[in-house]
Amino acid sequence: MRFEHYFEPTTVGECCQILKEYGFDAKIIAGGTDLVPRLRNKTLKPKAVVAIWSIPMIDAIAVNEDGLELGTAAQLRKISLDPALAKDYKVIMEAAGNVSSMQVRNIATIGGNACNASPSADAIQGLMAMNAVAVIASTSGTREVAIEDFFTGPGKTVIKEGEMLLSFKIPAPKPGTASYYKKYAIRGDTETSLVGVACTLTLKSDGSIEEARISLGAVAPKPIRAIAAEKMLVGKKLTIELIKQAGEMAAENCTPISDQRATAEYRKEMVRVWTRHALEEAEKLAKSKLNEK
Amino acid sequence: MNGEKMKIKITVNGRKHTLYVSPDRTLLEILREELNLIGTKRGCDDSNCGVCTVLMDGMAVKSCTILIPKANGHAITTIEGLERENSLHPLQQAFIDHFAVQCGFCTPAMILTAKAILDENPNATEEDIREGLHGNLCRCTGYKKIVEAISAVRNGEYKDSCGEV
Repeated sequence: MRFEHYFEPTTVGECCQILKEYGFDAKIIAGGTDLVPRLRNKTLKPKAVVAIWSIPMIDAIAVNEDGLELGTAAQLRKISLDPALAKDYKVIMEAAGNVSSMQVRNIATIGGNACNASPSADAIQGLMAMNAVAVIASTSGTREVAIEDFFTGPGKTVIKEGEMLLSFKIPAPKPGTASYYKKYAIRGDTETSLVGVACTLTLKSDGSIEEARISLGAVAPKPIRAIAAEKMLVGKKLTIELIKQAGEMAAENCTPISDQRATAEYRKEMVRVWTRHALEEAEKLAKSKLNEK
Repeated sequence: MNGEKMKIKITVNGRKHTLYVSPDRTLLEILREELNLIGTKRGCDDSNCGVCTVLMDGMAVKSCTILIPKANGHAITTIEGLERENSLHPLQQAFIDHFAVQCGFCTPAMILTAKAILDENPNATEEDIREGLHGNLCRCTGYKKIVEAISAVRNGEYKDSCGEV
């Protein structure tokens, strides 16, 4: 592992200035659980490494009336255990808690999981389920990008030369809304997901679906939404038949690859099954939210 | 930095160190190569196997993927820091008594991870313990003896002989 320059800026402005100077020759390090192995095996050979851990509040987790804000360097384990998130943002906690082992979650960050842009990343699915918005900073200010537009391919995001991910904003859920994330991996959390499905349902008081969101991980070059299945669900009440149909539509939506973990056919089949489970759970949770009031 | 060394201040097992090292090294390398604390093992070197686990400010972390500047200003506990004046640490003694050690390569990290689990939740159930050990691989014991040893410490069986966790 070799890099020529190491920087530890203490403000976002200072960090962006360094990024502007070095462009893609600079790599940001937040936790390092993804970056350090890649530096070591020389998959990445940046000229400069820019650590962001000395920037105040970059790891903040803040809940207010409008929603939740996660600093880019918020550790996954802190997110997964924060009691302030339990009521409205449970799916964010669960998705973050599904990443790898306790030791890795203690160091790995939400921004790192997003910027690394693995199609199978777990923590991202919580953000997808809750319509998060990415806040990206550069020397010319900040811009916002919806999470579903954030990823452009395996390992690729909309972040341009000289930019850094600053935070994620997650809007507070509407009443009657619940989300659920279900990961499928043979050896449990520690393993990379074969399939990950996140569902969000907003129910009207009569139990019909006002809004539905289904997000799929590990089955396309980037995290994707099962738009056709979502559209089909809106305005209807969930039945066993409808859940089955949504599962089939979600499976049609994805373009998985075959690798050492599973074949493409198997992954498609698992999307069908897992979408069903996730929808059932999300409905159960959303119904109990309706009854809460 | 321009390839230069950087000043790092870390507390390891209660002892303060000021080191001048290249920022492209890992915490694991510094512990083993600069401080000669070779109880912390190098396995996959890729944060999968967990044998490099140490405690950073009480949290279990994999030292092989921590860039040394990240540890700057923090307190590290390695397996060498657990022994007490008159006895082993309860987890160390329990691992011996329950035959939770075979080849021993994963043991330092297992014990530190176990300490992190029990420090956070002194009433950890067997499920909590197994969940917490997810990031530590052992190819000898099948984990059963390890979980038994940790459960015995949780039950307070070593309080009299070795003290608190």
